[in-house]
Amino acid sequence: MIQPMTAKELEYVADSMSNEDLLMKQCAAVVAVSTTPAIRECCSQMIQMHQQHYDSLMHAIQHHQQIAPTQPQ
Amino acid sequence: MQQQQQQQQQQAQQSQSILNEEDLVSTVLADLKRVVREYATAATESTCPDIRQLFTKLLHNTLSAQGQLFQAMQQSNMYNAASPALRQELDKQMQQYQQTAQKTRQLLQQKLGGALQQNAMIGAMNQQSPQQQQPIYM
Repeated sequence: MIQPMTAKELEYVADSMSNEDLLMKQCAAVVAVSTTPAIRECCSQMIQMHQQHYDSLMHAIQHHQQIAPTQPQ
Repeated sequence: MQQQQQQQQQQAQQSQSILNEEDLVSTVLADLKRVVREYATAATESTCPDIRQLFTKLLHNTLSAQGQLFQAMQQSNMYNAASPALRQELDKQMQQYQQTAQKTRQLLQQKLGGALQQNAMIGAMNQQSPQQQQPIYM
């Protein structure tokens, strides 16, 4: 049984999604211009990772949606 | 040949952008460092076990990604590591913190000596009543 997410936790989750989204784009910008194989490879892999992080955070909100109270408590 | 093409591609893109490859990679590294701190804060301030667990997992992943990117940068000579600490500085700190550790051991022995001993023998010698209540028991 999971407990409802706190307002603070939701703020952190939302901020984290912004961070992951930005990092995904930044890594894509590096891959687009990079001429260094080690950097290219590292940043390509990181695009996938940030995408997965974003999905996990999204999933956490979804998971908590059903049990969240609709009235302030 | 491919490298030449890549160089041309890079030059074309660099004329559009003020930030070059090294600058862009540095911003990614800086943001990974920031995100590591944010995940650590989020995890320590979480109440729900599942949310804490999620932040902890993301913290580990981000921390290792930051390490990998740092290594890739170092390999590609994009990172000037700090100069090594001098031997005499290491000796100085070592000496100072050995003294600190020694003092702390003595202090703990003095304040909790009996309690620590009793703690070690807990269960075996229950009849021995403590002289004073120590918060360490709670």
